[in-house]
Amino acid sequence: MSVADAGGGTRRLVVGPFNRVEGDLEVRLDIAGGEVLAAFVTSPLFRGFERILEGRDPRDALVIAPRICGICSVSQSHAAALALAGVQGVAPTANGRVATNLLVATENVADHLTHFHVFFMPDFARAIYAGQPWFARAETRFKAAQGTSVRAALATRTTLLHVLGLLAGRWPHTLAIQPGGVTRGADARDKMRLLATLGATRQELEERLFGAPLARIAALAAPEELDALRRGESDLALFLAIAEDLDLASLGRAYDRYLSYGAYPDEDGRLYARGIVTSEGRGALDTDAIAEDHTNARMEGRWRAHHPFEGFTFPDATDETGYSWCKAPRLAGLPFETGAVARQMVDGQPLIRALVASGGGSVFVRVLARLIETARTLLAMEDWVRRLEPGAPWCAQGEMPREGRAAGLTEAARGALGHWLRVEDGRIAGYQIIAPTTWNFSPRDAAGVPGPLEAALVGAPVRQGETTPVAVQHIVRSFDPCMVCTVH
Amino acid sequence: MAGLETFYEVMRRQGITRRSFLKYCSLTAAALGLGPEFVPEIAHAMENKPRTPVLWLHGLECTCCSESFIRSAHPLVKDVVLSMISLDYDDTLMASAGHQAEAILDEVMEKYKGNYILAVEGNPPLNEDGMYCIIGGKPFVDQLKKVAKDAKAVISWGSCASHGCVQAARPNPTRATPVHEVILDKPIIKVPGCPPIAEVMTGVITYMLTFDRLPELDRQGRPKMFYSQRIHDKCYRRPHFDAGQYVEAFDDEGARKGYCLYKVGCKGPTTYNACSTTRWNDGVSFPIQSGHGCIGCSEDGFWDKGSWYARLTDLKGVGFGIEANADRVGMAAAGVVGGGIAVHAAVSALKRARHKDADQQSTPADHNNKGEAA
Repeated sequence: MSVADAGGGTRRLVVGPFNRVEGDLEVRLDIAGGEVLAAFVTSPLFRGFERILEGRDPRDALVIAPRICGICSVSQSHAAALALAGVQGVAPTANGRVATNLLVATENVADHLTHFHVFFMPDFARAIYAGQPWFARAETRFKAAQGTSVRAALATRTTLLHVLGLLAGRWPHTLAIQPGGVTRGADARDKMRLLATLGATRQELEERLFGAPLARIAALAAPEELDALRRGESDLALFLAIAEDLDLASLGRAYDRYLSYGAYPDEDGRLYARGIVTSEGRGALDTDAIAEDHTNARMEGRWRAHHPFEGFTFPDATDETGYSWCKAPRLAGLPFETGAVARQMVDGQPLIRALVASGGGSVFVRVLARLIETARTLLAMEDWVRRLEPGAPWCAQGEMPREGRAAGLTEAARGALGHWLRVEDGRIAGYQIIAPTTWNFSPRDAAGVPGPLEAALVGAPVRQGETTPVAVQHIVRSFDPCMVCTVH
Repeated sequence: MAGLETFYEVMRRQGITRRSFLKYCSLTAAALGLGPEFVPEIAHAMENKPRTPVLWLHGLECTCCSESFIRSAHPLVKDVVLSMISLDYDDTLMASAGHQAEAILDEVMEKYKGNYILAVEGNPPLNEDGMYCIIGGKPFVDQLKKVAKDAKAVISWGSCASHGCVQAARPNPTRATPVHEVILDKPIIKVPGCPPIAEVMTGVITYMLTFDRLPELDRQGRPKMFYSQRIHDKCYRRPHFDAGQYVEAFDDEGARKGYCLYKVGCKGPTTYNACSTTRWNDGVSFPIQSGHGCIGCSEDGFWDKGSWYARLTDLKGVGFGIEANADRVGMAAAGVVGGGIAVHAAVSALKRARHKDADQQSTPADHNNKGEAA
């Protein structure tokens, strides 16, 4: 971190490395009058997975692509499997689809729990808040690595991950998801074990995190309903109290423009719908309108934005202007925010819709959307377990053609994840990945329009003498960044 | 951080009970393959020795090692080990941020000069002067060299640090380079796997902290206690391999019967790791148990050895492919094949065929086997 005088009363502050985010991140802030004037988000880590995938047997994407990320590996493997399924023209069996949903959902719920307990809440146990009325509770529950809720949540998470162990062999870097389904079916005994695991998870969350039944959290519709929850003894109650006291609902607003590829497919439709939400309301998703802009990305190919089927990833060693390894994905030329809040907005969760309509997407809404989604998803998971059919086919067989292309679109915990695969002559000819945090933490585009986080940071308060402004920390973490996915 | 606290004191301070401590000592002895007579020795060491600080650095990586270590491990082992090393410096977990974090790093290095253990997750990319992985404004390779300089020993966590892993796969765009090619003057313990098994990670670090010495290493620098057997040697599907019963496609008849996954690409026969004994996620399962072959993630170069979904093809140029061996069990004359796993497959199947032969009168199908194998 460094501080410099940028002239004209503007101070420049570089914040980073950030702890408790996945991977490396640096944020450059221009500060004047006690608030952020402009922000520049830098992803300082590049590995080149897209290049590594080129020329290989397309099926090997199932092993290589997930290794982009140790925490979203199931989502990455799902996106790869969907892209391969698209090229093969194969659809998963009913069992395979349900089991895949369970695997992806397990990781997503586990990630939401980690985010809330390990990444987001510990900031409220920092000494800067020692004078607040809720501080003692925050410290007891959320002090990093020691808080009672942090420990309990990690234990719950380990229990929940047994679902991945049981159905898919191991986590992280699960291998079971295939284009036609999964490599292992569940028998009646597995179903009992899965229900027991999910039941234990549900009980933990209802008691400690929510202080209310999952169904009640999932059905929240009007902002007034939060008042009763705020008075309880749960982690959620504490979060609601802190959010009210610090006015987190007016912190970190970006564009209120949301993108979701839709999650957890069913025979007809998805648990969470696919689409976009803009100031004009809900709309359909046109994936042809997605393009990545390289202007500030230290990548060759700046002359225009590239649709991921035509995209490429060549670092530009002579670059002078780029400030991130992250490309700038845009939909119809505009930056979009993605994540739990986007999924719940697109799906029409009434409380999240109401909160965004009244005060805009904020730190508060992003975190609340994750909690509501946790409850909704866990309920759906119990239902999916019941729908697993022992003995019925779990994996359909497909043939890999010599030529073809397809996109694999899924939702990771952090939002819309897409793999765009081109197969030529039986090998991978092109493989482009746009991860959720690529959308959220993108640098400026050719028109100079900042990415969602860069926009959300403008106006953030910086207290006198702060070198790691706590408001900036809250805003950054409210997106639950995964930097190793961002640039791959 | 505490100066001369013992491990035991640190644990107690972190709220771990005496009972849990003793349970941990016996779990550790078991994990390390030591008999119960070692439990008091471990307990004694931990009660009397000052703890060794561990600095944990992250380079070019995906954090799967930390995830495995911290969040999937046995809760007790995880708690104890976390409190023991308290991760004096770990980017992912630390409560502090920015310069505070950097300051802790400098402080530990100064205070425990020559006496701390450096654990590295990920590796340094060397292309373009290391600019593909910048930590705190400087290339990771600089940080790595700086911290390694006064370390007692280095642990290379995972396949990235040990071997390079998939980010070093052709064309290795960033020249991702394993730790031992950059740090040349320190003892290095490699704990490969993508990720390594949590219990293997805690076992290795506990051994080093408890006994104050390196575990016994194999030729490649891996702790023998965890890497001396192939996945294949202890695989519960092994009888099907020996019987020549294979899965041909996910969800075929063989898959439903739990046959051997060798023909859908399993690398268990050439992979040294503890998955088939220790298993994953609290011992629930491991990849082969989920019906997917082993991808050999703890072996050097596993990322560039041909498709994971192809059968092992060590035997190109000997006249027929491996599938011929496996398919035409018994037809193949073992003497013709050069060596390696295909011979193993063929011989195992031959043994079966001979048994069958001896048990019952030869059938037309076995006739070939008998003739060729004799």
